Amino acid sequence: MPFIFALMLVLPAVARADAKSDFFEAKIRPVLATHCFECHGHKVKGGLKLDSRAAILKGGDSGPAIVPGKPKESLLLTAVRHVDEELQMPPKKKLPGHIVTDLKLWIREGAVWPEGKAIGFATGKITDEQREHWAYQPLKGNPATTADGESFIDARVRSRLKEQGLQSMGLADRRTLIRRVTFDLTGLPPTPAEVDAFVDDEKPGAWHRVIERLLASPRYGERWGRHWLDLVRYADTAGDAADYPVPEAYKYRNYVIDAFNNDKPYDQFVREQIAGDQLPAANDEQRWEQMIATGYIAVSRRIGVSPHNLKHITIEDTLNNLGKTFLGLTIGCARCHDHKFDPIPTADYYALYGIFNSSVYPHAGAEHSPYRHSFVYRMGQDKADEMLKPFRDKLAPLNKKERDQYNLYQSFQSEVVEKGLTRRGVWAELEKIRAQRTAMAETFPNPEIAYAIVDGPTADAQIHNQGDPKDTGSLVRRGFLQILGGQKLPANAKGSGRLQLAQWMTDPSNPLTARVMANRIWHYHFGRGLVSTPSDFGVRGTAPTHPQLLDLLAKHFIESGWSVKSMHRLILHSRTYRLAATEHAGNLAKDPENHYLWRANRRRLDAEQLRDAILTFSGQLDLSRGGRHPFPHRLSYFYRQHEPFQEKYTSNRRSVYLMQPRIKKNPFLDLFDGPDGGLHVGDRKSTITTLQALYFLNSEFVHQQAAAISKRLPEPDRVQQLYQLIFNRPANKMEMAFAIKYFAQSKDEKRWAGYVRSMLGSNEFLFVD
Amino acid sequence: MHTNRRNVIRSLAGGGLILPGLLSEMLAAEDNPLAPKKPHFAAKAKRVIFMFMNGGVSHVDTFDPKPFLTKNHDQPVKKGKRFYKAADWGFKKYGQCGTEVSDLFPQIGSMMDDICLIRSMQNINNDHFGATIGLHGGSDTFKRPSIGSWVSYGLGTHNANLPSFMVISPGLPYAGEQVWGSDFLPVLHQGTRIIPGDEPIPNMHRRAATAQQQRDELGLIEFFNRQHLKGRENDSNLRARIKSFETAAGMQTAAPEAFDLSKETDATHKLYGLKRGDTQGFGWQCMVARRLIERDVRFIELIDGDTRLDFNWDTHANMVNYNKLARNVDQPIAGLLKDLKDRGLMKDTLVVFATEFGRGPFQPNPGVSGRGHHAKVFSCWLAGAGIKGGIVHGASDELGERVARDVVTIHDFQATILHLLGMDHERLTYRHAGRNFRLTDVHGHVVKPILS
Repeated sequence: MPFIFALMLVLPAVARADAKSDFFEAKIRPVLATHCFECHGHKVKGGLKLDSRAAILKGGDSGPAIVPGKPKESLLLTAVRHVDEELQMPPKKKLPGHIVTDLKLWIREGAVWPEGKAIGFATGKITDEQREHWAYQPLKGNPATTADGESFIDARVRSRLKEQGLQSMGLADRRTLIRRVTFDLTGLPPTPAEVDAFVDDEKPGAWHRVIERLLASPRYGERWGRHWLDLVRYADTAGDAADYPVPEAYKYRNYVIDAFNNDKPYDQFVREQIAGDQLPAANDEQRWEQMIATGYIAVSRRIGVSPHNLKHITIEDTLNNLGKTFLGLTIGCARCHDHKFDPIPTADYYALYGIFNSSVYPHAGAEHSPYRHSFVYRMGQDKADEMLKPFRDKLAPLNKKERDQYNLYQSFQSEVVEKGLTRRGVWAELEKIRAQRTAMAETFPNPEIAYAIVDGPTADAQIHNQGDPKDTGSLVRRGFLQILGGQKLPANAKGSGRLQLAQWMTDPSNPLTARVMANRIWHYHFGRGLVSTPSDFGVRGTAPTHPQLLDLLAKHFIESGWSVKSMHRLILHSRTYRLAATEHAGNLAKDPENHYLWRANRRRLDAEQLRDAILTFSGQLDLSRGGRHPFPHRLSYFYRQHEPFQEKYTSNRRSVYLMQPRIKKNPFLDLFDGPDGGLHVGDRKSTITTLQALYFLNSEFVHQQAAAISKRLPEPDRVQQLYQLIFNRPANKMEMAFAIKYFAQSKDEKRWAGYVRSMLGSNEFLFVD
Repeated sequence: MHTNRRNVIRSLAGGGLILPGLLSEMLAAEDNPLAPKKPHFAAKAKRVIFMFMNGGVSHVDTFDPKPFLTKNHDQPVKKGKRFYKAADWGFKKYGQCGTEVSDLFPQIGSMMDDICLIRSMQNINNDHFGATIGLHGGSDTFKRPSIGSWVSYGLGTHNANLPSFMVISPGLPYAGEQVWGSDFLPVLHQGTRIIPGDEPIPNMHRRAATAQQQRDELGLIEFFNRQHLKGRENDSNLRARIKSFETAAGMQTAAPEAFDLSKETDATHKLYGLKRGDTQGFGWQCMVARRLIERDVRFIELIDGDTRLDFNWDTHANMVNYNKLARNVDQPIAGLLKDLKDRGLMKDTLVVFATEFGRGPFQPNPGVSGRGHHAKVFSCWLAGAGIKGGIVHGASDELGERVARDVVTIHDFQATILHLLGMDHERLTYRHAGRNFRLTDVHGHVVKPILS
């Protein structure tokens, strides 16, 4: 309530000296917004909208809602007075008497409604009903194994199965399990030797040893880091109309991979990405690592030809992503109006907005401003300035020359250029100047640079009415979402508020951060989360199938010190994870989509698993760590929407290290539902298409790889080896017989390559049980 | 079409390696997310050819004559430092309708009795990137599914041997492939880019050395899949994937045939202004579009030009470039319209001519032959199924600077195209990130006066 009050006092850019307008803003608008707008603003129940004067006068199915000056003839008043049985609004609860009186007064005085402010109420009001939504409740339960040693996962799953009358299937065999867990934890297939070792391991603890081996492998972070990069829509380019490269972005990507490999506590991981530049550090190494972590914010998508002039859009991308990724909330919806479903008033959006608007986003270049700035130097800005000054001084005249020449080129659009000059000639000269400039730039020293965030001038933000930054409303104190505590930045706080935000987000009393991540981990292990909308825990998301289990997992997560690897161990050791993917007619009839986990989910390999596995089979996968992509020198490029950055860089490294542009797509990743670098993806699709089938039949990659794979395997018993390599099992007699039939015609390398192609095209390879 | 696929499968079986077990299943028309769907109401149009001119076609030089500009050419505008600029081309009245079109488009002009010209188009963004994705996906800032993806999602397709949404785009438009991206819609609704040349659809040509080898490989895949399916019979994904190799084999046959123009007559080549054997230029795009329409492809987009300045309609400084650009499209587009009419395809095919925005009525200085971007008003046109031909809808003001009458926003334009296909733009929705999305977002009204 105090918040609404504050808003009423400040609201008015529109109020002016007009008493009737003031009355409307103070008394009527909040009432309409709070009590009527849900059905007659967001929706149009009964054909009636109450979001502008025109709409009210027009009325709905029953006629005009009000007659200005005549309360008695106004249906709105009849409705709120609850005197007509047929017409009682709001339907559930009558409004308090003083509100009815206010409405009556307002109508009698002519129903004045200041123009141009139709929608976008920023009331800040959250209803009790909204607060009661399951996701905002404190975590409940005690995550301990049961008395008979059963894990709480299996206990909860078993009890839900019983309730639903479903029968749990048996456990998967060891070959199935090791293929499942190896793809799951590392994104790669197990080698035939690894399969044999596990199958033959008769000592107790064999499964434990497999899990520990995989969790200790650097391949693990490359796989699970990739999941995280999906969420933060990681890309190596900025996404503006010319798609400027960000050569330093890879440092954040590698930071993410390292964080998973090192089992960095998740709360620390979150804090570093939001405010790593402000966290205490034991040494320079850690300080710099934390700085790089803020690359999370820096990789926000830029748009258009001058993204630096559209900071509000960049911040929207940040907030949208921050909400979905960490909190499972669609915060971005509240930029223009209160969230239509979830308790996120517009005012909350601008409380967060002020924090990021008080931070400096690096500029990677854009058509209308090609020179980079605001990147972060490891040695510090002052030292870097001092070191670079002589070079910058030498470059400055060339910069000027380049801009002058470019403007001359552009002036063909606006002026009659002096005779003798042609557009083409001016462009050629421009290219010469740029080449000189590049030669100069290449003499620059290369201090270590990060695409990272630091604080800038700090200020609270004003609400942008209907999302329009030119039409600002009341000022909102920087702070956190009301539904998660609503903490405000203390009056004496210094800095943008990111540090405080990072702490609020990871405060164990905020149930969402742990719940959302616990559910994501579950989602990646099982192919579906307990909440099947992993990035939307709001009322439009799906409720958890196992609410108690979700809470226990979240509690375990916190109690383990936010250890992601501890979550893996917990889940992988459960019986539920080790189930077979068996079919069962009775269960299928009741729960065809396996919501209650009576069996394992069969899953299609994703784009990266597919490519990395094929390269593994051929022995061509380069397991070295990816670094800077071969972009041109950081100070040398001038892309425009007419000549956007469109390079392709190939390598045989793991797919997570492929250069990920935002505008130009990678056709392979695109074909198999891979990430696109522009969009938060919490739940990859796994479509099956004709063009994919053509890829297996006819693509250059599959043909090259198949030839390389078959050549690697020595005769005799190549078929057996191929089965072990690609299907992780031996071939049976019938399969051998079929192979013999196939090879009867010829056993040359081409025929072999065809055999391998068919295996790569098979369902047994593409799906994991 | 179905018979063709059956034949393909039978031929595989004839190859000796396909086993009878799954044959019937492979032929079943199940598990097909692209299966034709009923529209919301009776559709006028079944298919769309959507032509998109990169760069922003100047309305005042093409479809919207402005005598005021001719009269006041090179005169300073009262406010600001700008000067009126007359069109560099004359205008003539065409057909019984008498609609005026500039000398850049005499052939399209000759078809004006079939065309509904909209002179009151309005886009939401004044730069290429935003305007292009706005026109295609409804938002000028966010990546959203393209109109062709929405149509594919809403209606599916009758020809499983070709993609439902195909984009013939020799170069990349502003905003790149996201112009035909499916974004949050399943990827099989994404536009398949066709690049004129040897392999218009990626991987459509058999790479295995012989047809027999490929048949044997398909037989092997079928064998592996049949082994694998044991105990997994109820998994519709596995069955769908088995089916995808069937349709792939179908596409491998159907696609090269669709792109093979050798059997088109000389007269038809002439109609499209296309030299035999040539795959460059808009004539090839238009002729292939007709062939794809004949093969029941749902949505075909033809993109003219790319992002390079002299290769699209973005003439800031060089209006005379329009002579070359118009020559490239005028005859082919008119030829396409005539051909569709002659073959009786026009009655259920909608043809759309669109661009991201127009160009302003001003020049910055006298003698500068260029115009800036102008999204406040511009011209597009529609023809074919469900469209009143020979009319002009809406008007710009005296200068061609603003809409004077009957504004048609990009969302209205999109809503109308969906309407002609039998879909209500407010009901064609997809649930994503916690809410239902639609092509027209919260906007859009069907432009009823242009419907026949």
